[in-house]
Amino acid sequence: MTTWFGQTLGRRAILKWGTLAGALALWGGSTAVLPQVAHAAATTAELVAILKQVDDRQRNGGDWMSNVYIEQKEKDKVDVVYDARVFRRSQDQKFMILFDKPKSSQGQGYLRLDQNLWFYDPSVGRWERRTERERIGGTNSRRSDFDESRLAEEYDPTDDGEEKLGAYTAQKMTLNGKKGLDLAFPMIKLWVDKDTKNVLKRQEFALSGKLLRTSYYPKWKKAYSESKKADVWYPQEIRFYDEVEKANSTLILIRAVDMHPLAANLFTKAWLESKSR
Amino acid sequence: MHKLLVDLQIAWRSLIQHGRRTLLLGGALASVTTLLILLNGLSTGVRETMISTATTLTTGYLNIGGFFKVTAGQSGPVVTKFPEVIAAAKRVLPEITYTVHRGRGWAKMVSETSSMQVGIGGIDIKDEPKFREALQLASGNLDDLAEPNSVLIFANQAEKLDLKVGDAVTISAATSRGTNNTIDLKVVAIARSIGLLSMWNVYIPSQSLRKLYQLNDDATGAIHLFFKDSDLSRLPQLAAKLRTGLEKEGYRVMDADPRAFWMKFQSVNREDWTGQKLDVTSWEDEVSFMTWTLKALQGVSFILLLILVAIVVVGIMNTMWIAIRERTREIGTLRAIGMQRGSVAWMFLLESLLLGLFGTILGAVGGTLIAAGVNAAHVAVPLPVQLFLMSDHLKLAVHPPLVFGAIFLITLVTSLAALYPSLRAARLRPVTAMQHFG
Repeated sequence: MTTWFGQTLGRRAILKWGTLAGALALWGGSTAVLPQVAHAAATTAELVAILKQVDDRQRNGGDWMSNVYIEQKEKDKVDVVYDARVFRRSQDQKFMILFDKPKSSQGQGYLRLDQNLWFYDPSVGRWERRTERERIGGTNSRRSDFDESRLAEEYDPTDDGEEKLGAYTAQKMTLNGKKGLDLAFPMIKLWVDKDTKNVLKRQEFALSGKLLRTSYYPKWKKAYSESKKADVWYPQEIRFYDEVEKANSTLILIRAVDMHPLAANLFTKAWLESKSR
Repeated sequence: MHKLLVDLQIAWRSLIQHGRRTLLLGGALASVTTLLILLNGLSTGVRETMISTATTLTTGYLNIGGFFKVTAGQSGPVVTKFPEVIAAAKRVLPEITYTVHRGRGWAKMVSETSSMQVGIGGIDIKDEPKFREALQLASGNLDDLAEPNSVLIFANQAEKLDLKVGDAVTISAATSRGTNNTIDLKVVAIARSIGLLSMWNVYIPSQSLRKLYQLNDDATGAIHLFFKDSDLSRLPQLAAKLRTGLEKEGYRVMDADPRAFWMKFQSVNREDWTGQKLDVTSWEDEVSFMTWTLKALQGVSFILLLILVAIVVVGIMNTMWIAIRERTREIGTLRAIGMQRGSVAWMFLLESLLLGLFGTILGAVGGTLIAAGVNAAHVAVPLPVQLFLMSDHLKLAVHPPLVFGAIFLITLVTSLAALYPSLRAARLRPVTAMQHFG
């Protein structure tokens, strides 16, 4: 299996095969017993530099709008599928999700204002304050999965060596949450592609040390940002696998990214409410 | 006194003379009384089961719960420095007989095959002898709940999650700071289901709950306060006194809100405060999501009672009209030989009073015996009914005040129903009455 994925499928082949093949390749490579690639241990400074690079590649320093498709599969339950729009503004870390589909969720939304995450449900016409680490729409995705990457700000890395993930050579590291910060996952294991500095895989752990979630990032895409005056990279597809309830998984597809400036009054309760009138 | 005995004798003889009518009406009154006693016995039984189960498993007679908010949008059902709060509560309410404290949580319990959301109670089993009295174990050993990382679940949960004693489950929750955490637990005991409360409640050692939520040793979920049974009727006053007293002791106390603590998260999260606020609730508040069943049962009983009373009134009045018509000449004769109008009315009234008294006593005895038989037979009820009865069998609580109350009520109604026909009979003119044929 490892040989097949490692030798037969090159990176290009994986991308060409599409997202499922990519995810399978990453999964196959990561779950099989792989010898660690011999290399000199990376210093903390080098790892921090990698994290900063990971963050910087995804940061656009301006406004962001994208369509997202969220699909949640749970054992013995009907699949939950959402179409939503994500809005971000880098300067003041504003963030908003507006659900478009299904009809029962149309007009619902999350709005981040002054470090508070608010949820609006037009059927009751009321705003509820939610935790920053809220599961979005009851799925296994969090607000941070749609927001800008802040790994270097939030975590201290330690080196776990290099590892082959399918055709990729990944820098593996353990990230421990910085003291004083409230983080959903106090420990993360991260696999970063050595060549591109794109995240390939993440494993998120509970405070108890139990593995909670494994995420795969099989497909990355870039788009030019006027505000950054450079390319911004974003994962076109993310797959979350629940490691506590093994049968549960979530798929996120990020599409139609637009980094042009958004209206000034967008990140307000009034604007979100107006969308359901 | 002698006159009363004579009047009673006349009334008794009259009842005997009209045996069939007496039997029918007396039987109807007895049936109504039996029904009334059984209905009230049922609602009293449900209420008593609810109080005893709820006040052992999830709530005290009064509770000091509360919320601790690290940020305005994130609250946890936590009471910090609870020994000091208990001391303050005892200063305010010397009526408190004893207290227990329980951790509170809401989390996902995951087995190998399935998962469900559960309310977690953190308990020190060694300090709560009454807890084991409220539960019937299906398997396992309750003493093992003293071991760290153990869990007590109910039979319905065991079925849903496909668990047996010795199996492992994982509980996953966010700490009060929002960090994900898990704890692996071993199922040490499975209790028989006891209605709605056993649908989602599980119990783990307090220390394990603190570990899961990263709480200090002096933090708990709620302090359960217990009083003498005679103080039960004064709970609203005691709660108000406790609120005022705790405020004077320097605690921030939430306004009275008659809902269970887990129904308050949304409103608490909307409020703009951080730190600790205490919340005083009664057992009825904490099980308010279930007391509607009791209220519904009492409502149905009341409507049935009204219908029964109406039937009694119509039946008695009808019978009295027939009796008066049949005995019009007798009334005329009695009036002609000098009986006063008041005495005529009294004669008829006494007759219905006697009929009511004997009928209701008979019904009360019947109702009490039936209730005793039902309780002794441990009549099993289907699962949907168990949810509301909070017991797997029917329990009818028939107490002396209830029995005497039913006798008094039905007898009074019977007598009042007979009052108007009796007065009409007394108003008959002797000459007209004596000439009456029919």
